[in-house]
Amino acid sequence: MTTSPLLVPPPPLIHLSGVTKTLKGQDEPRAILSGVDLTVHAGDSVAILGRSGSGKSTLLSLIGLFDRPDGGQYLLGDRDITKIPERKAAALRSAEFGFVFQRFFLLKHLTAAQNVAMALVNGQGWLPRRKRKAKVLAALERVGIGHLAKHKPPRLSGGEQQRVAIARALVREPRILLADEPTGALDTETGNLVVEVLRQATDVGCGLVLVTHDHDHAAKMGRVLHLSDGLLRPAGQRVVA
Amino acid sequence: MIRLSGRLRASLIIGGQGIRARKLRTFLSMVSLFLGVLAVVVVQAGAEIANRAMLADVELYQGKDGTRQMYLSPEGQTVPVALEVLKGRTDSVAMTSARAIIGEPGVKPINEGGGPIDQPGGGGGRMTCDENGCYPIEDGNAGSPQGQAIELQLVGLTGDIRQFRPFRPSQGRWLDFGGEPSLAPRLVLNLEAAKAFSRYQVPAEMRVDGATANPTPQFVGVVDDGGYQPTAYVRSDELLNWLPVTSMSDSRSGPGLQVLMTPAAVEVEHVLRARLVAAGTPADRLHVDTVKTLERMSTELALLRWIFLGMAALVLMIGVAGILNVGLATVGERIEEFALRRAVGTPRLLLAGIVLAETLLTGLLTAALAIGAGVVGLKLALMLFGSRFPALEGTAFPWQAGVAGVIAGLVAGVLGGLVPALRAARIPIATVMRA
Repeated sequence: MTTSPLLVPPPPLIHLSGVTKTLKGQDEPRAILSGVDLTVHAGDSVAILGRSGSGKSTLLSLIGLFDRPDGGQYLLGDRDITKIPERKAAALRSAEFGFVFQRFFLLKHLTAAQNVAMALVNGQGWLPRRKRKAKVLAALERVGIGHLAKHKPPRLSGGEQQRVAIARALVREPRILLADEPTGALDTETGNLVVEVLRQATDVGCGLVLVTHDHDHAAKMGRVLHLSDGLLRPAGQRVVA
Repeated sequence: MIRLSGRLRASLIIGGQGIRARKLRTFLSMVSLFLGVLAVVVVQAGAEIANRAMLADVELYQGKDGTRQMYLSPEGQTVPVALEVLKGRTDSVAMTSARAIIGEPGVKPINEGGGPIDQPGGGGGRMTCDENGCYPIEDGNAGSPQGQAIELQLVGLTGDIRQFRPFRPSQGRWLDFGGEPSLAPRLVLNLEAAKAFSRYQVPAEMRVDGATANPTPQFVGVVDDGGYQPTAYVRSDELLNWLPVTSMSDSRSGPGLQVLMTPAAVEVEHVLRARLVAAGTPADRLHVDTVKTLERMSTELALLRWIFLGMAALVLMIGVAGILNVGLATVGERIEEFALRRAVGTPRLLLAGIVLAETLLTGLLTAALAIGAGVVGLKLALMLFGSRFPALEGTAFPWQAGVAGVIAGLVAGVLGGLVPALRAARIPIATVMRA
């Protein structure tokens, strides 16, 4: 019996299995993640809920290759990147991931367009000025603020600033978008708008992992997971002692 | 290669943005560095200019580096042989030296002995010294009254000496060795002789020791030969019209007979040696020295230059400390920016490159300002004091000083930016982005 290639499912964008992380500070080492399993496919949107200090941001920083897990396995596509060196991780962050943070992290001295272009002028390949400009404008248009390209962050509202940050995350057309409480500094209405912009990215096949405290925003995602005691479970599932 | 080029361009673009965003800090860094770079530029420029000025003066009377010179005692057939061998040659010149008095007939010269004209009492009577002591030279003017006449050293030349001693033209023209010799000897005076004749405009009769008659000379030009005694240069064949060849050179009136040769004039030297030995000059008296003024002076000046450069480097280090201080403070303020850049894929190396690019650009801007200040300062100094130092006339800003300024700026940029660059590269993304 032969299997048609069309029936073979594509590998997930990311697959974490048994990932552990212990934070070693001045105090006693503290286990933050104790065996997290997570799979995200193209077009998936995943919300991660959890109390403050539960390890949501740590998990996101592991997924985004800001940090490396102590144990477990992390596959990007079918490539094992659990122990990837920093030089290669930087290239992957540039090519595969887009990041949106609670604080927008925009540079005040640069215009909105220049802030977006930051993701293109990062030493990972070189785009001529004209192509760069076109990509930046397209990203800003995509989040609905193309007309604000020449404005500097202090002249933009919180929602506009966050959309600039989203445009920066999208400009390289990443395969996975990681958002760490992107609506934390916004009012409800603006927050809804921002979440909608993020969710729209999944329509073109981008995977989205959203860390949030807001259950309404989480409910707009395809899957809702809850991080507690270092483990990731579907929301609503009780922890059995 | 493309990747490196992209990273280089990225670091320059981002570095330029950083400088524009922090103009005041960049300005303060430049202020702290300016004096250091300027000190390096000034020391280097000063050393080069002093070197050139000293060398230019020394070359006037010692000759250019590489010139080979032979001093001969004007005895027997030495002078006739030398003049005959070197006649018409362009790679070798013979210089004879005689005493001449130009002025009123039958009077003692104003500067008896041929000394500088402004020296009180002139040079005094001429003296000659031997193993028994020094005594005055008897001459025909002993009993004459003092009158308007100038005593000078008359240097006869078989060719153009300026290829060996680059006399600076002052007025008129240099001797023309191409045409027929003139019966009225054409003289080119040095500055001291010209000064004497502009002060004492006297009837021109030239008395030369041993001459058969007193010719009337023509003054055709004035040069700066670096000498302080009145001297006149003349074609030796024009002098021979009035002077027996054996009287052409008198060791009591100057260095005797001197032969200057280019490094390539080996054949002439061999012929001259052979002819002189054949004419009775002992071979062991024929010595050839090569002028090594630049080499000798460079060694002497090098120590001085290094001492001053060391002092300038200390001032530069103070500037480096300023850049370092500002750089560290700036990196501290930009932790979030650097973490963000790392988050979007900027490699650590490029982050370090961005900080270094900023300090290097600051260093280069400062160097440009310091070099500009050096150029303007030199022009002002030449305008104000140039007339006092003729050797500095037409001095251009030495390119070596410009290069030293650029190097100082770059070194200061690297030293001042290295530690901040390493700090920027080590900023952890996760800690900052979670805060």
